Amino acid sequence: MSINRRTFLQRGAAGAALFTILPRKVLGKMGGANDIIAPSDQLTRGIIGVGGIGRSPQHFVSDQSCRMVALCDVDQNHLDAGVEAAKKTFNETVKAYHDFRELIHDENVDIVHIATPSHWHGIMAVEAANAGKDIMCEKPMTRTIGEGRRVEEAVKRNGRIFRLDTWFRFKDTFYGLGTDVRPLKKLVDSGLLGWPLTVRISGATGFTWKFFWTGKENLEVQPIPKELDYDFWLGPAPYKPYNVHRTHGTFRGYWDYDGGGLGDMGQHYIDPVQYFLGKDDTFPIKVEVDAPQQHHDAVGTWRSVTYTYEDGCKIILEGEGYESAGKVPYIEGPKGKVYKGFECTIPNVMEVINELPEPAPRVTDFLESVRTRRQFALNESNGHHSATIVNMGVCALRLNRTLHFDPKTQLFLNDDAANRLVFQPMRGEWGKYI
Amino acid sequence: MKKILNILLAAILMMTVSMPLSAQDDRQRTPETIVQDVLALMPTQNQSDFNREMNSLAQAAPKSIELLVAMLQPAEKACNNKVEYAISGVVAYASNTQYRDAVKEGLANSISKTPDQTAKDFIQQQLRLFSDQNDVEYTEHEGAAPYAAAYDKLKSLGKDAGAEVVKAVKSKDHAYRMQALKFATDYNLVNDELASQVAKKYNSCKEEGKVDIINWLGDNKVTNQKPLMMKALKKGGAPAVAAIEALGRVGGQDAEEALIAQLGGEYNEQAFAALQSFNANLDEKVASSLSTATGAQQLALLKLADSRRIKKVSGQVFDLLNNSDAEVSKAAREALSGVVTNKDASRVASLLDKANNDELAAYKNAFDACLNSLNNNEKFQAINAEMQKAQNKDRFYDALAATNTDESVEVLQQANNDAALKALMKSSNYKASAPLLEAAKNGNEEALNAYVALVNANEGNKDNRYNLLAEALKLAKNSDAKKNIINSMAETPTRSAFITVGEFLNDKDLAITAAYAEKQIQAKSLDDIEVDLVKKNLNKSIDALKARGAADDMYAVDAIKKALAELDESSPLYVLSDEEKKEGFEVLFDGTNLDNFVGNKTNYVPINGAIYVTADYGSGGNLYTVKEYRNFVFRFEFCFMRPGVNNGIGVRTPMGVDAAYDGMCEVQVLDHDDPIYSGLREYQVHGSVYGVIPAKRIKHKGLGEWGTEEIRVEGDHVTVTVNGEVIVDGDIREACQGHNVDPNGGDSNPYTVDHRNHPGMFNQKGHIGFLGHGTGVKFRNVRVLDLGDKDAKLKSKSKSKKK
Repeated sequence: MSINRRTFLQRGAAGAALFTILPRKVLGKMGGANDIIAPSDQLTRGIIGVGGIGRSPQHFVSDQSCRMVALCDVDQNHLDAGVEAAKKTFNETVKAYHDFRELIHDENVDIVHIATPSHWHGIMAVEAANAGKDIMCEKPMTRTIGEGRRVEEAVKRNGRIFRLDTWFRFKDTFYGLGTDVRPLKKLVDSGLLGWPLTVRISGATGFTWKFFWTGKENLEVQPIPKELDYDFWLGPAPYKPYNVHRTHGTFRGYWDYDGGGLGDMGQHYIDPVQYFLGKDDTFPIKVEVDAPQQHHDAVGTWRSVTYTYEDGCKIILEGEGYESAGKVPYIEGPKGKVYKGFECTIPNVMEVINELPEPAPRVTDFLESVRTRRQFALNESNGHHSATIVNMGVCALRLNRTLHFDPKTQLFLNDDAANRLVFQPMRGEWGKYI
Repeated sequence: MKKILNILLAAILMMTVSMPLSAQDDRQRTPETIVQDVLALMPTQNQSDFNREMNSLAQAAPKSIELLVAMLQPAEKACNNKVEYAISGVVAYASNTQYRDAVKEGLANSISKTPDQTAKDFIQQQLRLFSDQNDVEYTEHEGAAPYAAAYDKLKSLGKDAGAEVVKAVKSKDHAYRMQALKFATDYNLVNDELASQVAKKYNSCKEEGKVDIINWLGDNKVTNQKPLMMKALKKGGAPAVAAIEALGRVGGQDAEEALIAQLGGEYNEQAFAALQSFNANLDEKVASSLSTATGAQQLALLKLADSRRIKKVSGQVFDLLNNSDAEVSKAAREALSGVVTNKDASRVASLLDKANNDELAAYKNAFDACLNSLNNNEKFQAINAEMQKAQNKDRFYDALAATNTDESVEVLQQANNDAALKALMKSSNYKASAPLLEAAKNGNEEALNAYVALVNANEGNKDNRYNLLAEALKLAKNSDAKKNIINSMAETPTRSAFITVGEFLNDKDLAITAAYAEKQIQAKSLDDIEVDLVKKNLNKSIDALKARGAADDMYAVDAIKKALAELDESSPLYVLSDEEKKEGFEVLFDGTNLDNFVGNKTNYVPINGAIYVTADYGSGGNLYTVKEYRNFVFRFEFCFMRPGVNNGIGVRTPMGVDAAYDGMCEVQVLDHDDPIYSGLREYQVHGSVYGVIPAKRIKHKGLGEWGTEEIRVEGDHVTVTVNGEVIVDGDIREACQGHNVDPNGGDSNPYTVDHRNHPGMFNQKGHIGFLGHGTGVKFRNVRVLDLGDKDAKLKSKSKSKKK
């Protein structure tokens, strides 16, 4: 195969008028292969970041419908291991990149899978969208509210399909609830619990905030390992002397790259809540925190973070060790409560739920989204909304005060300092990428 | 690292003009003092402390800021955390107050004095919070042509973008077409007019374009384009599938009819899904359709009636049970549970009684459904009544058990057969545990699992639950049963559970389960556990988790490593204060061994520097001093780890008797603040000479906090001092007017407050003992001053002291 698929595609498109890129299907037919998956109908994927989640069994896959064709990492050991595993597991000779920009602009890559620490998510997603790639991004969507806005804009502007990778809003048992989110959604929509609702995400309702993802103060300065391009790993983050605890696996404990358990698990837990509360197109207007003072660099623990929506709905996060005592409802409304294990104060609740219509259908297969160009169930828009809830909490923790938010402008009210955290500067030239 | 900071603080102290540390008014403190006071409190633990401390610093800015920045050390020294907390704290605080400019000035003034680039960067980042505008300039990127260009054009057109959207629909580029349609949706441009213009392009589109249009109309719920959807549905193919989903979203009676007509046809599956989420009452239409439908449509309608709980058709469904077509009667049977109500109970019960094996499950479901609206007692009555009439009574056992009533357990226990036992396994009534345990003892593992579930759900006291689980564990044979119990033990976070579960860390089938359980027990333990044991078991847990290495395992490894790093490994060897040494006190327990004690050393164990009562040991024996004492001062610290703890200090007591009566006395140790003791008598509160002299009631410190106590016994005089407060100071002989036993030889003694005889009250001498039987209390720093056997002089001395 001397001619690659993309070059072929571009040649095919070269003569076409503006706004007409030939769809893959047409190309498949041009290739004369109607009944098999033509190379042009087969999707391809490149993964950026193959140290942790990018190398996990659920993501390190390659098959007929979507082939893994490229990997990228700034840790040479991770990259080498990934390339070898691709060969061994799928017999795929993948392209290996050190610079994610090369992977994104590799014309053989259809889908860019971003599996780096979250300080890179915004830049990479915007770059991928601008390059005309569809995107799968690990949670949390972005590290700041401002970056999230840019991702949403870039995805829309470039007509891309974006999937944020958490899934509890459409499948799987929902942590302590012992059920998927569907019956919760039906129950909330039914109005049987009354309104407004308070949702408590706490150890007492079946969640854990993973406080072991806290950072360390007074980090020693250590030599940078040979295999790691630390300067590139930091990228847009402020330069700080190397210590192993900043990177791989424990990066979540530092504000520059993530936000501890809240930053990293928050969207997992909060996104389904946003869905069943029907808040996919708005934001809370207030966030309050109860926490020890936070270090400027190392993420610490907290006792509670409370979000309030304009209509009075609340989401309360309770830190590990600070859970409400006694029997605590997961969802509490004026007319009813739902506890861990879907125990409910409404008699015969499952029967009541069964009598209600199912929630509206959504596309929950990412490759189907890419093929049909229909929005994925968790996308650049609702994903940005739930990431913003997390990031509002991060801002309030770092400033140690109550913050008020304007859902229209996506800025904090009467607090310039808080808004400095909405848009944060980027080191070197990385700011140009977003 | 600590040392460096201390040197820094010392340096500051020397610079400081001496001012009282307690000064509340910041105007009276120098910036140096303020900085030093604030640093001592870094990091603050709550917002009000934070605001107060940061307000002090902010008021003293810019000087305070300059002082702080000057304290920053080069990064290699790794010692800046407190100063960093203070600087970033005051910046965060001041950024929204009138002190903003002063703090900013302090930072700007001192940036040149930072020791290295890291410190400079830190200050720069702090300064940034004060900037007035975003210092991030976003670039407009070229984007993916032609999409970005098209999007920009649409955006520039604003409300007039509709025409462009319509044009885009004709594009052969799928992504572009969808982008334009999505734009219209996102920017609320969709109205009937735009929809009809888009719809006009439908015919000239290829199949893929048709699908996109229909999807878009459906997503936007464009009601007046239903005719187009209907047309698409009729024509078949991919647009028909899209039309079914769209009609489901759009709704309305015509859509409902069209979808129901599709049931059983080529697009049955899609139509069924659309009707499941169809947001309207389908009762009428399903009922009328069911009366005429045949074949596949009839089957689908039955399924739909079940799924949407359409009670209205119950009569029709009952009729179809007897249909000659086996497929139809089966579908009707399966739909029954969705359509029946309470009034059908007898009818369904009789069907259940007569059912053949293939029919059983469906009728059981239907019978359960009939009873849904009743409460458990009503359910029991109803089921029991039906069961009495039935031939096959065992068919009602499951339903009976599901009522979880006491009566249901009794009935099933009386039935005394395998089916009844199986049903009992499903009961959540704790009374079912007795027959289940008996079956478990006879080797029935299923019964064992059910028993464990009942214990977990019903036994609230964690120590009791642990004991029951430990017994159950002995009965478990296969590894699933053991896993179940180990997982349950993870919810009884006691030292005993940690030890028991730790034994499974070497078992290759159970190591992972045990590792997760150990992690949880250690994290939530109600007891102190020996540091060495914690380290040993947690390290083994890490090995087991790493060996499997699934994603969650690595999370757990992170958590365990953090727990290990936080272990307090200092061994607090207790030594007497100089004063006590001079007075002649002896240490009875120095944190390491019980050499000065005899008695129950199985349940009284030295753990991490304290004597800990590790388990509920009933009447298994107390712990006594080796030596006997007459007059003494006994000092110790005590700590409650569980609410409601009960122990006591025996005075002049022989071993193995009830010291409160056969010793001189027992000085009560009791968490009397726990609500379970609301009915406590005054002579039973903490510190009381039990049954003889009531103590002044104190409020205990919280769980896990240490209190101090001194018991001074001289002759007949007992003084008890807790947390520095004297709560008993009295003469026991006087307290009972010399009558420690009833002078008439009766069992009731009118002279003591508890009306009991205290035959040991005037013992000459005896051991000091820890008297308890329940877990959850700790003692440490135990020491005694032996005042000898002669007491007359001492007594008067103490009396004069009192005056």
